[in-house]
Amino acid sequence: MASSATVSAPKKRKSFSEYFHSMRGQQLIVTLVFLFVPLVLLFMFTYLPFFKMVEFSFFKMKYIGRRTFVGLQNYISVFTRKDCFHALSLSLYYMAGSVVQMALALLFATILSFKCKGSKFFRGALYFPCLICGISVGFIFKFFFTHGFVLDTLLSWVGFNVDKLPFWLRDESINNVVLVACSIWKYIGQNIVMFIGAIASVDPVLYEAAEIDGANAWHRFKDIILPSISTIVVLNLIISVSGALSAFEMPYVVTGGGFNTSTYFVVMDKIAHTDQKVGLASAMAVVLLLLIVIVTYAQKAVEKWLENRSSGVTK
Amino acid sequence: MRKINRRNFLKATGVLAAASALAACGGSSTSTAGSTGSTAGSAAGADGAKAYNELTVGTDNTDLKADLKFVSHRTDLIEDGTFDGYVAAFQKLYPNITIKYEGITDYATDMTTRLTSNDWGDLCMIPTNIPLTELGDYFEPLCALSDIENEYNFASNRAYNGSVYGIPSTGNAQGIVYNKKVFEAAGITTLPKTPDEFLDDLQKIKDYDPSIDPLYTNYAAGWTMTAWDAYTSGGATGDPNWMNITMPQTKDPFQKGILGADDMGPYAVYYILYEAVKRGLTEADPTTTDWEGSKPRINNGQIGAMVLGSWAIVQMQAAGDHADDIGYMPFPITVKGTQYASAGADYCYGVNKNTTDDKKLAAMLYIKWLTESSNFAYDQGGVPVLKSQEYPDTLKAFDGIDLVEDAPAPAELADLATEVQQEAELMLNADQTHVMRVVEAGINGDETLDDIVADWNAAWDAAVDACAPQ
Repeated sequence: MASSATVSAPKKRKSFSEYFHSMRGQQLIVTLVFLFVPLVLLFMFTYLPFFKMVEFSFFKMKYIGRRTFVGLQNYISVFTRKDCFHALSLSLYYMAGSVVQMALALLFATILSFKCKGSKFFRGALYFPCLICGISVGFIFKFFFTHGFVLDTLLSWVGFNVDKLPFWLRDESINNVVLVACSIWKYIGQNIVMFIGAIASVDPVLYEAAEIDGANAWHRFKDIILPSISTIVVLNLIISVSGALSAFEMPYVVTGGGFNTSTYFVVMDKIAHTDQKVGLASAMAVVLLLLIVIVTYAQKAVEKWLENRSSGVTK
Repeated sequence: MRKINRRNFLKATGVLAAASALAACGGSSTSTAGSTGSTAGSAAGADGAKAYNELTVGTDNTDLKADLKFVSHRTDLIEDGTFDGYVAAFQKLYPNITIKYEGITDYATDMTTRLTSNDWGDLCMIPTNIPLTELGDYFEPLCALSDIENEYNFASNRAYNGSVYGIPSTGNAQGIVYNKKVFEAAGITTLPKTPDEFLDDLQKIKDYDPSIDPLYTNYAAGWTMTAWDAYTSGGATGDPNWMNITMPQTKDPFQKGILGADDMGPYAVYYILYEAVKRGLTEADPTTTDWEGSKPRINNGQIGAMVLGSWAIVQMQAAGDHADDIGYMPFPITVKGTQYASAGADYCYGVNKNTTDDKKLAAMLYIKWLTESSNFAYDQGGVPVLKSQEYPDTLKAFDGIDLVEDAPAPAELADLATEVQQEAELMLNADQTHVMRVVEAGINGDETLDDIVADWNAAWDAAVDACAPQ
């Protein structure tokens, strides 16, 4: 029986001072004190700037100087301008790219999770690009894609004729695909590491049982691994979609947004910093946020619908 | 687990509270409450302090003690020790003044953000996107414009309401860097004076040797595209009032034939770029141009010409063994029989309004020394700031050319140019995307220069109406 020091037949209300000194009170106070600093930082650096930005979106203003209230004018501009939603259409390339990225990441993660020669080395090598600064990556890719340089030379070894090769970054039919490929190269490591972790959590007994039943590697993947890590896959999908809508680094550094590679963020950056239309840029950011929220809910709805359709299959 | 008793708990929260109080007061140690007291429109003559033009470097206040922080965009000169050399020479006269440079690469954007805090340093190069009306909010008025405009070129560049807030560091004349040997070998004997002559010359270079890029645009660097805007004012129109006064009140300024002939005005400048790209007289792939690599290439004769300001001459000469082959020609536009060249101040030195009086004085002394004794403008191949100083050799071709400096707008029209440009989203001299569009059209052929110019004119007209002074 637990100590009954503080429990007496008629439970009297503790005074604040007694509560303060009791175990529960102390725990609560320590929790609050430790939470205080992170919450203050979170508020100051995430929520406060966000609320200010929403406030800015209703004004016509520059970074320094006076501001005038314009109501919803900025939002109307975002929807009527030619460049904003055209830039969003470029995000479709990045979304397709993120699906490819996830598929490749699942493939690599599955291979690397099971007995594979040099798996440690490959894990490191595949994760390495994430760690490099995006600007350096962009610069190197500029040289990589220069006509007659690295990529063209590699392809000429395989048999392509250098003169027939396109200008990778200039050709508007492929330059977005090229930039998406650069983006995949850089960020696939994160997905791989996450999937390796998730796959490692699957009970190995299941694999043995499946092998006895005659399952091959593809069945093992489709019916055991994928359902087990489905939460992680969905999470990655949501993050990838919001990342695709806000693609900025690759187009900005590699092509500067030229030759029809200006994504939404690149346009927003020009409007905010060069044209100093901070209100309009804030409105663009808020619109993007709403778009991401809508897409996320849509994804979750589809996921639920798929689950309901195939209910009965073991999760 | 140790008992959390009252004493330990109070100690812990006490430390936390003290730490957070200290965190709040770091950093801003240079601002002094209200002692600056200078009002806009008057020289820095409050509390008997001398104005810029009254100072004599070398004899005034030689025992002044100050530690200055100088924020500059010339990261190259910080790294190669040129600025250290200047500081050392200055310290011979003022041994107790130390100056520390901080270089920023993406200067215009970063510095504008930094200025929103009051303790960014003591001296900086004034960013050009700050409206003239707001200069007094950040920078100390150094002296009256009438006091120095007879001795200094470009003195009005960062002046407002009769007060000078920024002293020019050097002057740029706008022309084209070219390789003299390549031009000679291709059979070009006289420098071109009209856009079509220039395009024909580029064609001659292409015919002479197809492996040479007649005009290298450096598209991928971005700022090299912005550089084309500087040619559209005085050099293309002969009018010092064009950029700041006439253009923001003119409808359809980019129109062909705006000054009565097709080959002058802003249209002609973009025409040269568009046609050169369209006729294949530039590099094959603009998206992968290499700025640093282009410098030795023009030095070695693999590039014919590049459209850059006079500050580039020194860099091109230093990039290889053929410094003598580098020449500088005025931009090939002739306005009614006379060739003009836009000239303007490069960045101007400014002093932080919120720093201490001693530091302000030290900063002004250093600026005066830099402008009058350091030979900075001459060494950098620029137009000298002091009217009495001589022009460097590389600008010899500009003998007989009229230098046209953009006149500042009068007070009632101040910032009209910036406002119209921002409203139209055609920030001349700051935005690169509109010029990039010209190159892209030349390569892709999906729109002509006339289509682009029609778009610009439409946006400009709307902006002129929106920003018209009441």
